[in-house]
Amino acid sequence: MRSIDIHAHSTPQCFQRAVLAGNEWHGMTAADGELFNPRNAWTPDQRIADMNSIGIDIQVVSTNAGFYQYDRDVAVTTAIARDCNDEIHQMTMDYPDRLAGLANIPMQDASAAVAELDRAVHQLGFKGAMIGDQVNGKTFDEPEFLPVWQAAEQMGAVIFIHQGGGTIGTKRQPRYHVRNTIGNLADRAVTFAAFTFGGVMDKCPDLKVLLAHGGGYACFGIGRMDRGWQVRSEARVNIDQPPSNYLDKFYYDCLTHSEPALRMLIDSVGIDRVVLGTDWPADMKIDWPVSWVMGLKSLTQDEKEAILWKNLEKMLGL
Amino acid sequence: MRSIDIHAHLTPQCFIRAMREGREWHGVKPGEMGIGPRNSWTPEQRIDDMNSLGVDVHVVSTFSFYYYYDRDPGVILPMHRECNDEVHQMTVDYPDRFKGMAIIPMQDVKLAIEELDRCVNGMGFVGAMIDDHVNGKTYDDPEFLPLWKAAEEMGAVMLVHQQGGQTLVRDRNPNYHLHNTIGNLVDRAVTFASFVFGGVMDACPDLRVCLCHGGGYTCFGAGRMDRGWQVRPEARVNISQPPSSYLNKFYYDCLTHSEPALRMLIDTVGIDKVIFGTDWPADMAIDWPVSWILGLESLTMEEKEAILYKNLENLLGI
Repeated sequence: MRSIDIHAHSTPQCFQRAVLAGNEWHGMTAADGELFNPRNAWTPDQRIADMNSIGIDIQVVSTNAGFYQYDRDVAVTTAIARDCNDEIHQMTMDYPDRLAGLANIPMQDASAAVAELDRAVHQLGFKGAMIGDQVNGKTFDEPEFLPVWQAAEQMGAVIFIHQGGGTIGTKRQPRYHVRNTIGNLADRAVTFAAFTFGGVMDKCPDLKVLLAHGGGYACFGIGRMDRGWQVRSEARVNIDQPPSNYLDKFYYDCLTHSEPALRMLIDSVGIDRVVLGTDWPADMKIDWPVSWVMGLKSLTQDEKEAILWKNLEKMLGL
Repeated sequence: MRSIDIHAHLTPQCFIRAMREGREWHGVKPGEMGIGPRNSWTPEQRIDDMNSLGVDVHVVSTFSFYYYYDRDPGVILPMHRECNDEVHQMTVDYPDRFKGMAIIPMQDVKLAIEELDRCVNGMGFVGAMIDDHVNGKTYDDPEFLPLWKAAEEMGAVMLVHQQGGQTLVRDRNPNYHLHNTIGNLVDRAVTFASFVFGGVMDACPDLRVCLCHGGGYTCFGAGRMDRGWQVRPEARVNISQPPSSYLNKFYYDCLTHSEPALRMLIDTVGIDKVIFGTDWPADMAIDWPVSWILGLESLTMEEKEAILYKNLENLLGI
């Protein structure tokens, strides 16, 4: 049995060296790096040691969402993304059996994003890219993003969706960590809806979109989206099938922090669409992810193996 | 077998008359607010429709469009009083078919308490319907505590229901009816979190809060709220138990548009906390609500009876 984690982050060492020496790094400072979490400072060797202790064979490494920087000048964001991607590339060269890469790409400029995705996938061997739920307020039904989806589809690249900056919960309730504990899941449901109601999944039927945090509230809330599609013409402008028909077009990580929620996810989207994702090394991660999945009483052994490695082996060719 | 619907709205006839006569009504100008065909039905037409649907009792609430929390309470209190007086007259004319749910000016807590008291103690109402926030303030704000104390003392139900169209999702994506199909459910989860993380349910242990739309994403997302409470001190400032331990302190209507979602709700919060609510006469209503409940294969007959009437008989004493 193997285990492959699609949701594992990196705070670039090149960033840390610069800001801890008191310098700026592409205009970013130590405050941008979640350096309060000591695990973010770990070297690749320390990362591997921790992976060994929790039983993770492979991490598909993505740079932390704080490095999206979509609101900056595209030249600066591109330089940030290239540095992040080059560092992860070196990690995958040093540990080819243990680490794979997901790129950071400058989504505020679709052609620059496609160029960096192309470089990362074709030159650096990355598996895809991690992007936010929105780009400076624009959601992914906006036509300007279509070239990114078409390029990703053509490359076979995974588009991993993970919030960055404030979620939609932040504005209403900034306290109690609700911006994360509710906001992440709300953002993901809206992103599922933007791709689906926006017609992107029809235009790009082979696009691999992977929704972090179990796709948030998408599977639980699908009945109400269907009802909206049934009664409101504005919900049908781009799609002539109900949104629930699109649930099994996406991939989802297993990061639900709830066995009944994971069970509902599997039952709603199909076991072949659910993959291991832990959010290493954040405080909101699954602490002992392999152990957690293995211990779930409502999953069969086949389902556990599909989640832990088989689905990602097939999807990523690992 | 009875059926009692806690989530059934009214467009007041007094408002309709004013609009048809071209008169301004408490600051609302003719044409400012649309009137759907079912919304203009008289109490007698409403009862005809209830008969056709098999619904015995409507707990009637004035539509959320009339909250007007952003306007001068000196103008809005008389509006709300007129709405409540009309609902009261309906309950006097048809005491076996209608119960009253008040609308109260939440922008002035003192006036809100006075109007709640007039409705509950003076006119036999069962409680009040309120928004998920008041001009951006959530219900953990200490200014609302006197209202919760008063409602608790009166035994009044607080029915939480967004103002149509104005949810957290609107700013992110205004298309495809998502402000309703996702937004209502996000808003409700944030309201659950505000009451719970804010310590209101500890301060008012007998307060009866009913969350519309099945409590939104609350039950599905409780695992991640618990994780946030475990790892973040800011989530523990007011409560010493995990948020999931408060799930059974609330009531939830059955308006999920999904049998698996309703099943998860029951399994999560307990069958004694799930009540019948249909959103009559909105387009997002359950079309044949009694039939829908009776036809659900994953519910026992006892569970169906609890939802359709027994829980509300107990809660409201009717």
